[in-house]
Amino acid sequence: MSALNNPVIAVIVSVIIAVSYFTLVDHFLMDMQGLDYWYL
Amino acid sequence: MGSLTRKKTLAVMALSAMIGLLLLPIVVSVPALASGGGAPAGGPPPDVVKKEGGEGDKDKKVEKARDVYYKTEGIVSGLPAPKTGDNAKDYPRYNFESRVLLWFANQQHLYYGSFVLAVPIFCMVIEFMGVMTKDKAMAKKYDQLAYDFIKISLTAYSLTAILGGILIFTFLTLYPAFFGYLSSIFRPVMHIYALMFVAESGTLYIYYYGWDKMKEGFLKWIHLSMSVILNVIGTVLMFLANSWIGFMMSPAGVDEQGRFLGNIWHVIHTALWNPLNVHRILGNMAFGGGVVAAYAAYRFLSSKTDEERAHYDWMGYIAMSLGVAFLIPLPFAGYWLMREVYAYRQQMGITLMGGLLAWLFIIQATMIGILFLSTNYYLWQALGRMRGAERFQRWIKYFVFLLVCGFLVFITPHTMVMTPAELKAMGGQQHPVLGNYGVMSAKNGGINVIITTTVLTFIWYQRGNRVPSVSWSKFGNIFMGVFFFFAYVNIIWLAIYGYFIPANVRVGLSVPQVATTLSCLFFMTALNLSMLKGAKQIGPIEWGKISVRSQYALIMLATAFTWMMGLMGYIRSSVRLFWHVNEIMRDNSPWAYTHTVGFAANMISFNVLFFWISIMFVFWLGTLAAKKAPVEAKAPVPGQAPQPAVGH
Repeated sequence: MSALNNPVIAVIVSVIIAVSYFTLVDHFLMDMQGLDYWYL
Repeated sequence: MGSLTRKKTLAVMALSAMIGLLLLPIVVSVPALASGGGAPAGGPPPDVVKKEGGEGDKDKKVEKARDVYYKTEGIVSGLPAPKTGDNAKDYPRYNFESRVLLWFANQQHLYYGSFVLAVPIFCMVIEFMGVMTKDKAMAKKYDQLAYDFIKISLTAYSLTAILGGILIFTFLTLYPAFFGYLSSIFRPVMHIYALMFVAESGTLYIYYYGWDKMKEGFLKWIHLSMSVILNVIGTVLMFLANSWIGFMMSPAGVDEQGRFLGNIWHVIHTALWNPLNVHRILGNMAFGGGVVAAYAAYRFLSSKTDEERAHYDWMGYIAMSLGVAFLIPLPFAGYWLMREVYAYRQQMGITLMGGLLAWLFIIQATMIGILFLSTNYYLWQALGRMRGAERFQRWIKYFVFLLVCGFLVFITPHTMVMTPAELKAMGGQQHPVLGNYGVMSAKNGGINVIITTTVLTFIWYQRGNRVPSVSWSKFGNIFMGVFFFFAYVNIIWLAIYGYFIPANVRVGLSVPQVATTLSCLFFMTALNLSMLKGAKQIGPIEWGKISVRSQYALIMLATAFTWMMGLMGYIRSSVRLFWHVNEIMRDNSPWAYTHTVGFAANMISFNVLFFWISIMFVFWLGTLAAKKAPVEAKAPVPGQAPQPAVGH
């Protein structure tokens, strides 16, 4: 946990989690409606 | 000891009586349901009986017809919808527009009805919080607050019943043909509505008058159970009333002539019934919270002592928090309702959002923006009652920027109201500049930015006088900041992305946008609360030490909500255009046209003004009772003048 309190590591880990989470949310919630999120 | 046993016995008997009353309508309905789906009470209409009798029992002929919505076949067991004419028989009238009189009676009944349905739900929640709280002083405070709430709603309950009576007389006097038809269709459940009303009244009075007798231990749990039963009855009442308007907008269970086909469940469970139920429950709660918060603000402003100010500041905060908790999911329920309207009849959706009534939605967007701006403003002002919250002041201007940007995008119209000459000069409805804005994709982005910022403000408020002391607080803070940043990026990206993809894909983008906002609401609030466990307190919350402006924000919140409720009720009702019951029973009165936006807005304002003047009278009655209590008691009532709380 002490490594996570290092601001640089904390930012990198947070960005990876947040970007992955929102990308998955966008993809799967469109997929559930039978729509293609990556259409464009 | 004997006295306590007697009390317990009486309490259990009262609870059993309420449960009995609740089950009575179901028991009464069993024979009707057992005989094949509840034929209307009183049997088939006389002409059908005569026809059957004439043909003898051997070749008994029953007429079947197809359900307009469910497309199933059913036995015709009702008369067709009456074909009305513009005459004194179908539409008796005074020298005044009947529709406006009915509009007024209906709206006032609805305002009071939603208030008295919402307040007992608050009471249940607050009383439960009081029972569960280990801190005795706080438990007493919660109990006193719940009692204050129900006291306000009791007078309003009588007014609701009076307004309900006025509404029925208005229907019978001015629209007898329509009311006769609607009550014949809903005949199998009309008595259930009446019985539910009796059960609601009985339960409410026992709940209120039994409060002091059932203060401790087992009796308190019985009392709390009563509030659950009271709310179940209230909710069933509302669902039944919603089935009438659902039937008028999206009829089912009848054939194309409007003849009842014997299945009352189809009549109740129309295409729009459930979306209306969810939307109205949330709306009632937000409205009830707003009205109680306005009451607390009124009492705060007229308080003479610091103790009173502290109590009403706390009451206003709790009511506002409960109201806003239901206001946040409300736009999503409204969006679901609109989607169901489009699914039921695309033309109805277009009339609402892109045609005759579209500009009313611009007014609605403005009101929603005002609601969220007022909420944020109140929370920023409320930071003033905490020592140590000064460190958040410098961030407020950035929040204002985000809110204003979201608000401006949200209220931008897509089309202009134009004269035929202007339309011709422009070469169509689409404005060359404005036509690019005000589309759903952008508006969804706008409102989600506003709601996410409100969540962020609330997290700021929770942090007000506390500093997290968990070992991972540095990571927690960075993670929260990054999560919110990417939530904004995702919402805005999806709003822009919608401009580059076809409409059938674009409509789906609203779901991930909403999920992003809700992720912030649930995950970040939970993360914040876990970070604040055992947090270092900079100073106590000083209840009552808040600017007067904050109380005006609460009154603004309540008034804006009342106005918006009137507006949305008008939109929902007028989308039927010249139909009493959509595509089944035509409105042939002289008032079947749609009013201008200006007239409708004035009428809504009049309704709001009348409601607030009348509820001020109810508030005033509440203050009379409060002034009287100490004179009778001669001794301080426990919990009457609470100490400022340290938690919230």
